[in-house]
Amino acid sequence: MADQYVPTDRIPLPPPDAKVYTTACDYCIVGCGYKAYVWPDGKEGGPRAHENALGINFPVPTLSGRWVSPNQHNFCLVNGKKHHVIVKPDADATVVNRGGNHSIRGGCIAQKVYNPDGPTRDRLQRPLLRVRGKLVPVSWDVALGIMADVSKHVLKNHGEAAWGMKTYSYQYFENTYAISKLAFESIQTPAYAPHDKPGPGNDTAGVDDAGIVTFSASNEDWELADVIFISGTDPFETKTVLFTDWMLKGHPNKIIMALPRKSGGAVYAERNGGLFLPVIPGSDAILHLALIRLILENGWEDKEFIEKWIANRWEIDSGFGRGTRNTPWQWRTTWGKLGASYEEYRKWILSYPLAELSKATEMTGIPAEKIRAAAEMIAKPVGGKRPKTSFAFEKGNYWSNNYLNTSSYAVLGLMCGAGNRPGQVISRLGGHQRGWYGAASYPRMFSPQKFPGRRKQEIDLDRWVESGNLRFAYVIGTTWVQAMAASHELADSLRRLTRGNKHQITSLDVSKAARTLKDRVDDGGMVIVHQDIYLRKPIAGEFADLVLPASTWGECDLTRCNGERRLRLYSKFCDPPGEAQPDWWIISQFAQKMGFKDYDWKDSNDVFEKAARSGRKGVLNYHPLVVYAKRLGMRAHELLREMGTRGIQTPVRYRSRITEPRDYQEYVGYYVDPRTSGGIVGTKRLHDHDTDFGDPEGPTVHQKWLSAFKTQSGKALLNKTPWELFSDFYERIQPKGDELWVTNGRINEIWQSLFDDARKPYIMQRWPDNWLEIHPDDAKARGIESGDRVRVESGDVLIQTGGFVGVDGDDLSYTGLKKAGHIRIGKGAFEAVAMVTDAVRSGVVWTNFLYVGVDIGSTANSLVHRVPDPMTNRYRFKLAKGRVHKIGESPYKHSFEKMTFAPRTIKGTVT
Amino acid sequence: MNTRQDSKDAGSTEQDFLPCLDRRRFLVVGGAGAVTILLGELFPGRVFAQDERRRASVATYPRRKVGSLRDLELHKPVTFYYPYDEPHCSSMLVRLGTAAGGGVGPGQDIVAFSQMCTHQGGLLEGQYQSEYRVLGPCPLHLSTFDLTRHGMIVAAHATENLPQIVLELEGDNIYATGVLGLIYGYSDNRAGH
Repeated sequence: MADQYVPTDRIPLPPPDAKVYTTACDYCIVGCGYKAYVWPDGKEGGPRAHENALGINFPVPTLSGRWVSPNQHNFCLVNGKKHHVIVKPDADATVVNRGGNHSIRGGCIAQKVYNPDGPTRDRLQRPLLRVRGKLVPVSWDVALGIMADVSKHVLKNHGEAAWGMKTYSYQYFENTYAISKLAFESIQTPAYAPHDKPGPGNDTAGVDDAGIVTFSASNEDWELADVIFISGTDPFETKTVLFTDWMLKGHPNKIIMALPRKSGGAVYAERNGGLFLPVIPGSDAILHLALIRLILENGWEDKEFIEKWIANRWEIDSGFGRGTRNTPWQWRTTWGKLGASYEEYRKWILSYPLAELSKATEMTGIPAEKIRAAAEMIAKPVGGKRPKTSFAFEKGNYWSNNYLNTSSYAVLGLMCGAGNRPGQVISRLGGHQRGWYGAASYPRMFSPQKFPGRRKQEIDLDRWVESGNLRFAYVIGTTWVQAMAASHELADSLRRLTRGNKHQITSLDVSKAARTLKDRVDDGGMVIVHQDIYLRKPIAGEFADLVLPASTWGECDLTRCNGERRLRLYSKFCDPPGEAQPDWWIISQFAQKMGFKDYDWKDSNDVFEKAARSGRKGVLNYHPLVVYAKRLGMRAHELLREMGTRGIQTPVRYRSRITEPRDYQEYVGYYVDPRTSGGIVGTKRLHDHDTDFGDPEGPTVHQKWLSAFKTQSGKALLNKTPWELFSDFYERIQPKGDELWVTNGRINEIWQSLFDDARKPYIMQRWPDNWLEIHPDDAKARGIESGDRVRVESGDVLIQTGGFVGVDGDDLSYTGLKKAGHIRIGKGAFEAVAMVTDAVRSGVVWTNFLYVGVDIGSTANSLVHRVPDPMTNRYRFKLAKGRVHKIGESPYKHSFEKMTFAPRTIKGTVT
Repeated sequence: MNTRQDSKDAGSTEQDFLPCLDRRRFLVVGGAGAVTILLGELFPGRVFAQDERRRASVATYPRRKVGSLRDLELHKPVTFYYPYDEPHCSSMLVRLGTAAGGGVGPGQDIVAFSQMCTHQGGLLEGQYQSEYRVLGPCPLHLSTFDLTRHGMIVAAHATENLPQIVLELEGDNIYATGVLGLIYGYSDNRAGH
C-alpha cells in the first residue's frame, strides 16, 4: 500500500461513556485478552481519570497497561456512522497477558479494522464474478446461485471427490463448524485440505502416537518448569507473551532452543544459563536420539515415572497401544516395527549407531559438548532432585521430518518424566489459535489414497489437483498457492485448469455463466470460488471465477480457544465492509441453495450452541457451558461474554459442587449462578492424574486423556524411530555444489501472509520486502552485502505426481515412488533482500516463510519439495535448497526510512 | 512551513541536562504547537532523497540547548529531559559515528531519542549498543530500536518508533526543537505544557 507510517504526537482518548467490548487478539496462538473502546466521531475524552474510559490520569506510568499508542487507534463504522475505535490489551487481565502485555502484532491490531478512509479501504465489499477476465460486482443471490448450480453439476457428473474445499482450520468455531458440516456431512467429500497442509489429519503424529494430546499444557506450566527444551520454534518471536509473561517469569529457569538459526530468543537463552543448539536442517531426530542415549547411558531417566506411566509389551500389544481399530497408520504401529517397551527401546537405542554422540555431532552439526550439556541440563538430578523439564515444539520440528522428529521428541520428553505434571509437560506451542470445530469426521473411507496394508490415508489435495481430478474448489481464507509446496508449479497447474481453459464467462447472463463453467469442468477444467477479506493473488486475483467478501474478527460475535484451550467470546464492535458476511452465513446460504438441511441458523450464537453437541468427546468441549446457559435462560455467547477475557479453559466441566481450589478456578475460569444448581469450571492441564476432577456429572464427559495418556492402557507409548524411514529422501535433497539449504520461519512483526500487515504502514516501513539471512562466508563468496537484492532459485524441486495407493510395504517411500515413476522435477525461485548475519551457519540461508503482502509476494515455498512425509502426509517445508545470487541493490540499502539491517540477535537479560 | 520555533527562554547551561522541577515552569514558557511536515523539510539535507516526501507530525517546543559538538564524545550517550522536566521525557543524545536519519553534525551522526520504550514504558537508559547503533534491548521485554533509522523497531513488541528528538545545530551548540512521535505515557505530547 502507498500509505506511509506517520508518527503522530497525540491520540484521542475514549470518553467515559465509550462502549467497551471484550475480545482477544485475532492473531497468534497465545490469544491475549483485549478490549475495544468505541465512541462516535466528534467526541473525545480527557487526560484526567474521570475524563476517560480507561480510568487513569495521563501521562500513565511504566507497565500500567493503559497507554494507548497511536497504532492502537483507528476509525471504524458503527451502523454506517464514523466512530473512533481503540483496541488495546486488557490491562485488567489476570491470565494470558496479565496486566495488559502484548506483542507487536496484537499491539497494532486496531489497524486491522475496516476504515473506509484508511489502508484497509480495499477490503472486499461485494461478491464478484469474473466476466471477460474482469471481476464485476454481482448480488449474493446471483453469486451463490451460480456456485450451487455448478456444484450440483460437478457432484452429479464427476462425484464428490471432484468437489473440494481448501480452507483455514482456525478462524472461529462458528465458521469451521459450518465448513466441516458442508464438506464432511452434507457433501461428504474427501477432497479437503486445511490451509497449511496437503490434507487433513494429524500435524504431529509421533507425539499423538505416544498418547500425548498436543495442547495438553497450560501457560502456567512454562512458568513452573526449571528447564524448557524448545524444538523448532522461538516463542520470543512467535508466541511473544507466552515467552515474556510466562517463560521469563519463571526465571531463573533455563531455556534450550534447537533451531537452525540463532534467533533473539536463542541468544537470550544462551545468555541466561541455557543453550542454543544450532541444528543442521532436517537432523533433529538424530539430536533427540543422541540426547536419549546419553540420558540412558548415565541413568538420568525418570525411572519412577517410566515404571508408572510407560506401556509395557503387553500393554502395547493389547490393541497396538491405541486400539486395534483406532490406529490409522496400521503399518506404522503394528508388526513390532516401532512400538517398544522401555527395555526394548533401551536395547534398541544403545545399539543404534546413529544415536552415538560422535555420529550425532557429525549429522546435526552441534558440538558434542553442547549435546552433552543439554542432556545434563534436562535430565541430570542435582542434589538428588530431578529438574522439572518441559518440552515444547512447533513447525521447525514437525515440518522438516514430521514423523521421526515428533516421535523421537515424545520419547525424549517421556524419558525425562514429562507429559502429565505441573511444569513437566510435552506440548506444541502452536501457530494459529484452536478454532476448528468439526461437525463431522473427515470421510476417510472415500479418500483416493491408501497406505500399504488396508488403511485409507487422507488426501493430498495439491496432488489431486495436479492430476486433474478436482473440478471445483471452494477456497476460504487462505493463500492456497504461495502457502503450499512447489508453489510455482502449483500456480501453473491452477492457471492451466482455470484461465487456460477455453470456457470463460463472457456475459453477465446468469444461466449462460453457469453453463460456461459447467462446460469447463466437463472439459477437464476447474472452477475456483475464493472467499476472503481481501482480494488475494493469484488465487482470487487471477484464478477464481467467483470472489466472495467475508467479514472477520470484530465484525461478528465469534468464539475459539487459544493454545491453553481457553475459550473466549470475540465481540463484534464494528460494521463489516459493504455486503461482506461471516463465513458461516455464506456457507449457510450456499448450503440451502444446494438443498442441504439444518443450515437455517439465526445468528452466530445459534451456530455456537448447535456446534457444541459435536465436540462433546473432544478436548475443546464446551457443551456443559451451553447446557448451563440454557438452564439460566441465557444465550451461550452471552454467558461467555460475561466471562470476559479470562473465558474458560476447555474441556468445560459441570460440577454440582466445584471443589477445585480457588486459585485453580481463577486460572481456568468458572461460572456459578445461584439461580440454578452447581456451576461450570475449566480444565487446566490434560493427562493430569493429580487433580481431582470428581465424577462426571450432568453434561460433563470425562475422557481417558483427562487424567491419563490417550492410549488404550492410559500409559504413554515409546516408538522407535529408525532413520531409514527418512534417509533416502534426506540424502536426495542434500544441497550440492554451490547450493545452500533454504529454510524458513517467522518473526514477531509479521503475521502469516501479511494480509493485514500489508495494510499497516508501521509494519511495512520495517518489512517492505522479504529478506534472506545469509552467513558472511556465503555472502562474500557471492559478492553479497546487506541490502542487496538476491534471487534464490532451484531447478531441482521434487514433486510427487502419483502414488495414491500403496500396496506393498515400501511403495510410498521415496525410493518406491521414484522407482514407480511418481517423482518429477520442477523449479522454483524467489527474490529477497539480503541480510548478512552469522545467525545462520554457513551452508544455510533463512527467509520468511510466506512473505505475500498485497501482491503475489516472495514465493519462498516455490523451492519446497512437494513430496510429503509418506507416513503422515505432511510437507517438509523447512528443507528446501537453492542457489543464491545477487541481482542488484535494493532501495533499502540507502534508506533511513525503511528496513533496518541491525541484527535481531542483540539480547540482554530481563530485570 | 518551518518547524523552528525560536524561543527567548531556551536554556543553555549544563543544568538543562538534569531534571529540575524548579525549572519546569521556566522551561515551558513559550508557545508549543504541532505541525505536519515532510521529512525533507524537517531534516534538510539530512535524509536520503527517496525519504524526503515522507510526512511527519511534529510537536514543536521551546528550542533548548542539549549539548555541544565539542563536548559530545563518540558512543557516549548523554541523558537530558525534553520537552519537559519530568520522568517521561527522559531522552538521550548520542554521536553514532555513522550517518543517521535526522542526524546533525559534520558526520550527520548526532541524534537524540526518547528513552521510554514505546512498548510498556521501560527505561532504555544505559542500553545503547555502540556496535550496532541501537537502543535496547529494553530491560522489560527486550524491544530494540535502530537509532540510524528514526528509532525504527529492530525486533520485539513496541508499536511505535522510538520518538526522535528533532535537533538543530547552531555553531557548536546542539538544540532540541521538536519531538517526532508520541512519548510513552502521554496521550498528547503537548499535555505537559
